[in-house]
Amino acid sequence: MKDRVFGVLQRVGRSFMLPIALLPVAGLLLGIGSSFTNPTTIETYNLGGIIYEGGVLYTVLDIMSRTGSAVFDNLALLFAMGVAIGMAKKEKEVAALSGAIAYLVMNTAISVLIMANGGVEAMAANSTTSVLGITTLQMGVFGGIIVGLGVAALHNKFYNIELPQVLAFFGGTRFVPIVCTVVYLIVGIIMFFLWPFVQLGISKLGTLVLNSGYAGTWIYGTLERALIPFGLHHVFYMPFWQTELGGSMIIDGNVVTGAQNIFFAELASKSTDVFSVSATRFMSGKFPFMIFGLPAAAFAMYRAARHEKKKVVGGLLMSAALTSMLTGITEPLEFTFIFVAPLMYAVHCVLAGLSYMIMHIFNVGVGMTFSGGAIDLTLFGILQGNHKTNWIWIVIVGLIYAVVYYFVFYFMITKMNLGTPGREADDIEPKLYRRSDVEAAKSDKSSGGASDIVSALILKGLGGKGNLSDVDCCATRLRITVIDVEKVADSLLKQSGASGVIRKGNGVQVIYGPRVSVIKSNLETFIDSPQSDDPDSVLGDSEKHTEEDRKREQSAPSSSTANIVMYSHLNGIVVMLEDVEDEVFSQKILGEGIAVEPTEGKLYAPCDGRVDSVFDTKHAINILSAEGAEVLLHIGIDTVKLGGKHFEAHVSDGQEIKKGDLLISFDIEAIKAEGCKVTTPLIISNTDEYSSITSAAQGKVLAGDEIIKIN
Amino acid sequence: MKTFSYTVKDEVGIHARPAGLLAKKAKEFQSTITLEKDGKSAAATKLMAIMGMGVKCGDTVNITVEGADEDTAAAAMEEFFKTNL
Repeated sequence: MKDRVFGVLQRVGRSFMLPIALLPVAGLLLGIGSSFTNPTTIETYNLGGIIYEGGVLYTVLDIMSRTGSAVFDNLALLFAMGVAIGMAKKEKEVAALSGAIAYLVMNTAISVLIMANGGVEAMAANSTTSVLGITTLQMGVFGGIIVGLGVAALHNKFYNIELPQVLAFFGGTRFVPIVCTVVYLIVGIIMFFLWPFVQLGISKLGTLVLNSGYAGTWIYGTLERALIPFGLHHVFYMPFWQTELGGSMIIDGNVVTGAQNIFFAELASKSTDVFSVSATRFMSGKFPFMIFGLPAAAFAMYRAARHEKKKVVGGLLMSAALTSMLTGITEPLEFTFIFVAPLMYAVHCVLAGLSYMIMHIFNVGVGMTFSGGAIDLTLFGILQGNHKTNWIWIVIVGLIYAVVYYFVFYFMITKMNLGTPGREADDIEPKLYRRSDVEAAKSDKSSGGASDIVSALILKGLGGKGNLSDVDCCATRLRITVIDVEKVADSLLKQSGASGVIRKGNGVQVIYGPRVSVIKSNLETFIDSPQSDDPDSVLGDSEKHTEEDRKREQSAPSSSTANIVMYSHLNGIVVMLEDVEDEVFSQKILGEGIAVEPTEGKLYAPCDGRVDSVFDTKHAINILSAEGAEVLLHIGIDTVKLGGKHFEAHVSDGQEIKKGDLLISFDIEAIKAEGCKVTTPLIISNTDEYSSITSAAQGKVLAGDEIIKIN
Repeated sequence: MKTFSYTVKDEVGIHARPAGLLAKKAKEFQSTITLEKDGKSAAATKLMAIMGMGVKCGDTVNITVEGADEDTAAAAMEEFFKTNL
């Protein structure tokens, strides 16, 4: 269950990337455009001469501002479609269309109910908005996400539905928009009654904030961040910015209510000596984490990305960081980690809250037009003078925040192995071993027939056509969802040229390397061909060979007379000790054993026993097995020089362990990038005490497979 | 019985490689060779025990050699430490 939830969240996070990639550009347009078309800005800096309504510069800025905000205003729709596309298994374009339709239908249903209940005036203040011309409840991106997820679920269930003959025209993918319309009509009705309760709860929290001083400011800041993904932050902060909840004050003889109004009235007033912190406490806290904290977090994500992915994610992260820094639009950055690493977002919320509180304590009086980027800081802080605003504290606290964000995020990502951009586990080792039988089969047949044999092997290995629920691929892996995972035969898949097979629930990942996309399309073509009903017909001789292989594999353990058996400590490829590129191992100075070239950075216990010692540098571990064998597991060659970097130990000295327990995790790519091999020998260091130690595996192994026998 | 002590200069201490070489060397002699550091001791032929001592750079190890060929063994071991650690 936990795996499934995690898997879904991962996919949601990935499906966000399509709309998110657009946000930095939209953010810059909006941020720059709106700052310089803001009447207060123009007035304060006497820009009226060059920026005036109707003038060329104003119009250009206005176009920037409005096109940028067109993206943000319709973010929910983008997410409704983007998530549907990302989550749909097949026929993704139909899911996108259905997402758009469902979103319109849901909001229209809400709109009609709002009208029927007395219109916007009858609803709570700030609880409604206009989306694509439809007056509806303020649900923010959350509205789009529930549409996207629901539509994808409906789509995956119904896209291949067969209807009775009379209605056949409406079957298959055509049925999806139809069913989505009906479902989201109902969802809209439900949301109309349900959502106001959520909104009411939020505005009650506002009252709490007001009555609790500095702590109140902290709560305000934390909640404001926490509500962003649900679109509820407007309901929450607008009353502070625009109504008497944010205080009221007499400025130049006029009563002004609302924090933002107070700030701008003071800005316009000639008699302001110091800006009222009672108002700006609802705003100033944004600056430190938006200009300093989040960009540092982006840097942490960049640093934590896999080496070869850095270039790709660097662009995304840098533009998102720049947007946050300059304009205070943080969604592009926040949405890159909110779903893949919710805990990180929680930490971010707490730190953001603290930022508000610290600004409150230091009497920082910098307001903003709509967010806390460098543009607003310059206009409403620096240019007003430190004596009025204490803006210098923003920079001081901000610099500290940058350090805190960087280390906290980097630590969390690496220690908890969070899947932030560029860390998705879809990369593998270059293939080290050839599957000679497949190579032989390829050379036997003409080039056209070869891929069919591969496809047939894969299909048979996956339990036949009837066992497949979904076939997809990423850069290097075939990703299949099967109906019965028991039917999957790893040996057949490996025969087809795979360097590894990973199972998670009903998901099977078969690792082929970059050529996987060709393998996938060949497989799809093969699945559509009549031969696929009986893969054996294609396989012929090579299949028999495979059967023999399997029998041999199965009979091997039963013929064993070993006293002690060690099980593979990693997923990977067996390397004979003699072939390890280090004479200490290859000349067996440390003892007999076997090595594995890992395909996954996880070292598991090869037997039951006790941890004798974990090296300080965490690259090696000594285990005393329950039967008395002294086992040294040594990750990589010369990795002692890394001083523990890229390794994480999960056990400590003296700890009792069971076969298959995770001992050490390590970052294969990072270690290779440092110039070390990751070949991992398993050495019996008290070899002298046994008469024979023989290898029991070759080629690919999975952790837990028999690997050596000791007599 | 012969004893000597040695302060490890190799910056990564007695990790797998030197421990392996050390044990191999120690096995060449009849004498019992024992390593001791901070109250922990290990037979020089027992690889896992040596590694378990966790000897780091700057640590001082006391070596005891006892047996028929203790003179040769002690000299050889001292030579080994100097060249390898």
